[in-house]
Amino acid sequence: MRYAAGATVRVRAADPEHHTRVPRYVRGHTGEVVAALGSWPLPDDSARGIAPPRIETCYAVRFYAADLWGSGDHTVTVDLWESYLDRP
Amino acid sequence: MGGQAGFGPVPVGEDGEPAFAADWEARVYALATMLRRRGVVNSDELRDAIERLPPQQYLAASYYERWLGALETLVTEKGLA
Repeated sequence: MRYAAGATVRVRAADPEHHTRVPRYVRGHTGEVVAALGSWPLPDDSARGIAPPRIETCYAVRFYAADLWGSGDHTVTVDLWESYLDRP
Repeated sequence: MGGQAGFGPVPVGEDGEPAFAADWEARVYALATMLRRRGVVNSDELRDAIERLPPQQYLAASYYERWLGALETLVTEKGLA
């Protein structure tokens, strides 16, 4: 587990050819790790039939709506696998 | 279309609302569940197949029409159709 709750992370901006669980609206954005959710198969691998898929920690990462869309008082929390994230 | 501009808010059903709008939707759901339980497809393959639907089909389809289109793609690709 690379990130602890409270860590600041940046979502990789990559736009892969294959399926991924990174929504476009958080790519390149900075958020805060709310919790580590345990280890899970990487959907990018599972979707392509790669067996066995990589197993990574998945994190709940919180973003400010205003950072993503320019307005809004709320936050958005997205489940993101470890290889989707970098230290800012 | 979550987070996509121009598609309006995501409709959220009331508590107690029927899970399926029509019987065929329940059958599509059951079919997907059995294919997953038997290890024929996994959830990520299903999501991927939904995203690979032709854009015209994707945008015109309802939620379970997308599931059905994805299942058709997957059983064809896996040689089961």
